[in-house]
Amino acid sequence: MNCTRRNFLIGGSTTLFLSGFFPKLSFASMQKKNLIIISLRGGMDGLTAVPVIGDKRLKKLRKKLILEDVLKLNSDFGLHPKLEIFHELWQNNKAAFVHATNIPYTGRSHFDGQNLMETGAHIPYKEKTGWLGRGLLASDIVGKGLAISLPMPLLLRGVPQNNNFFPSPDFVETKLIDHIYNEFKGDHNELIKSTLDTIRQRPLSMQIATDSDDRKKLAQEAAKQLKDQSGPRVAVFELDGFDTHAAQGGVDGAHADELEEVNEIVKILYENLGQAFDNTLILTLTEFGRTIKQNGGYGTEHGYGSAILMAGGLLKKSQVYTDWPGLKKKELFEGRDLNSTIDSRAVYNSAMSMCFDKDPEFLRREVFWGDDLPDLTEELFKI
Amino acid sequence: MSLNFFRRVAFGLSPSDKKPDDPLPWALSQLNTVPDLLWPGSILAEKELRKKYGEWVYGDREVLRKKFKNDKDEYKKAKDDLRLKTGERYFELNEHAIRHYQTKYSQQPVFERFWLFWGNHFAISEKDFLAEFSTGPYQREIIRPNMVKTFEEMVHSVTTSWCMIHHLDNSESVGPNSRRGLESRDTINENHARELLELHTVSPSAGYTQEDVIQLAYIMTGWGHKWSRKNLETGDVWFDQEKHQKGDKQVLGVKYKNDAKRELGKVIHDLATHPVCIEFVSTKLCRHFITDEPTSEMINPVIEAWNKSNGNLIEIHKAVIKQAFKYNDTTHKFHPPEIWLMQLSRMFDLNIPLSADRMNYNFKSRPTNRQRQLSWILREIGHSPYRAKQPNGWSDVEADWVSPELLLRRFWFASVELPRLVKSENQLHDFIISCLKNNFDNYESMASLIHQFRFGTTEKDLGRKFGVICNLPGVLKV
Repeated sequence: MNCTRRNFLIGGSTTLFLSGFFPKLSFASMQKKNLIIISLRGGMDGLTAVPVIGDKRLKKLRKKLILEDVLKLNSDFGLHPKLEIFHELWQNNKAAFVHATNIPYTGRSHFDGQNLMETGAHIPYKEKTGWLGRGLLASDIVGKGLAISLPMPLLLRGVPQNNNFFPSPDFVETKLIDHIYNEFKGDHNELIKSTLDTIRQRPLSMQIATDSDDRKKLAQEAAKQLKDQSGPRVAVFELDGFDTHAAQGGVDGAHADELEEVNEIVKILYENLGQAFDNTLILTLTEFGRTIKQNGGYGTEHGYGSAILMAGGLLKKSQVYTDWPGLKKKELFEGRDLNSTIDSRAVYNSAMSMCFDKDPEFLRREVFWGDDLPDLTEELFKI
Repeated sequence: MSLNFFRRVAFGLSPSDKKPDDPLPWALSQLNTVPDLLWPGSILAEKELRKKYGEWVYGDREVLRKKFKNDKDEYKKAKDDLRLKTGERYFELNEHAIRHYQTKYSQQPVFERFWLFWGNHFAISEKDFLAEFSTGPYQREIIRPNMVKTFEEMVHSVTTSWCMIHHLDNSESVGPNSRRGLESRDTINENHARELLELHTVSPSAGYTQEDVIQLAYIMTGWGHKWSRKNLETGDVWFDQEKHQKGDKQVLGVKYKNDAKRELGKVIHDLATHPVCIEFVSTKLCRHFITDEPTSEMINPVIEAWNKSNGNLIEIHKAVIKQAFKYNDTTHKFHPPEIWLMQLSRMFDLNIPLSADRMNYNFKSRPTNRQRQLSWILREIGHSPYRAKQPNGWSDVEADWVSPELLLRRFWFASVELPRLVKSENQLHDFIISCLKNNFDNYESMASLIHQFRFGTTEKDLGRKFGVICNLPGVLKV
């Protein structure tokens, strides 16, 4: 059991009385809750993933990028046909979308944007830790972060002993690791030392050589770890290739291929998490959306507002949660991009609050410097 | 001065390298000329390789897809044959060998370190078939010769190179008021313009706006590949007036009069000599050779050299090396995997790359495992040089290269793969100790660590020796 009385008091005591926040101590909240983030690098086009079928302007502006066979969500929004698992989950209140949302960054640079989507900050490269890492640390959850990538994503940095899973071709002798560990004892390099600690504490199953090109196997192993009551509580997947300046295409183009990969990961997690899927929340993260209009190469340019794709049993209901800004020229950001009316960090802060059983006010202060991020827990998640 | 200077600015000393008496002049003297490529095997010109690229995309897209449109299996088979015939699976392996051979045997290893730096500053990320056919020759023919010219000349060559133009979609960019734009209603593609500002020259700290990006994209319209039915997108770069946006433009407050193809040179001049650009690139150079967070005391002399020499890269490189020398014993730099591998290869005279003879390819069957070995290792340690994920290239800071898996892969390489790369005549314990002595001040304490394995020469014994030695704090970083 994770939520012992002691943990509860340490975790919540400082804010409990200030805000009146009281987590429900139902059976569900004692079950380990998993938060999974899928980073979509390159700028995911929210209007390709979740097109606004209720607005004819979109079709007019994107003649060459029109989607056929859109899966219908409601009278206003549809879903890209490659996102079929989301559609299936939608029927059972286990998929939802936040639309016209982004981090508060309008500079349209990938690298500044990706830095900010991970740090959650306002000035690129200023912060060296990620909002998820800080959220874990503030919630006293240490050693429970798992990255499905070779490097440690900035998003998870800031809390010690994160793990990653991307196995090398062969075993490394434990003795060798111990030897190197000893040699680093006297070194000043804290990052390597703490990483070596993590390596020494890894479950043996993570040493099993597999083909890291096989995303399917990686996602399966991630699901296995997340299912374990004493395993990781947070996982981060990395996808790139969303920067479709050219040949973006509609149902089968470059953006569709990327969405298919998101779909695949979510599908594997759903199929392999079993019951634990009900205690899981999956969210996507991207640096910006793309322009409404197609460009010279039948692609789209860097824009602003995008969408967050969500799945898991911890969602309140199937919905497209949005304060829709409209697609008329004057409604667009700088006359070209879908505007962002919801600071996506409010969604992430609320998600952490729900998954880590922490007061959103407390996390907002600890993780996002007290920025004005409304609590969306009640609107979006099961509490 | 500690011996690690030879790894800080180069790849360490090989068993046959004579130890320089005076390290600083040794390093500085390597920067005046472009050393020849030493690889004795085949080195194809960029244009030839681009032709192969063309044969591959044309053969697949225009011939096979049509011929086998109803037979998926036959199509797959024919496509695989075409891959082999055009060298699609081979040329990147050969380029890695050329690159690695250079860093291993060059008598100007310091120059080679700058070569790696600039290739990554003007990175070509994984896109289409660039890594397979074009990124290697781009490094050789565009980056390398410009390293003894000015930064401005380098930027100009890069910006008008086929590889970068294809990488950043500039061929797709059409001025909306150009003849073509009015006819087809096509418009600009901002990708290349944005990265020219952000990554290659002034960086976001110059405070450019979206309008600056658009205006620069206008200036760049018309620069693209010459399309033909046979070559598709692999034609030479030219300036197509029909696509060029008419009218005056303005970037970062400077006006550029309507002047067709000459506009580009003017704006590149202004960007490449912009004070923010000079500071940005000088900082990156110091980050690479000195430490992740260089101070302004470290960077300023490089900026001064830049200003004094009007951006002459020889002088800039010398200033960087002087600073690296000055701060050698008081700073640390964690090296990314590829440089670490190159250093191990040079210091211990490893059996990579494969000999030029054995790298010879028949264009009929799949490259052999041995031919693929170096590229496979690079990929497994997380640093396949011509496959950066994004146009900002590979990271140059420690935090991006330290994770459980990234460290484990280095342990794996050093203890499992490396022993198979030790030449049979070099397996003796004394040889390993002499290599350590060439390169490390504390070689005695390193030797004592592997003393217990001194009599063993099996792969397993060697694995234990190298597994430890190659991953010590003072080897992973300088």
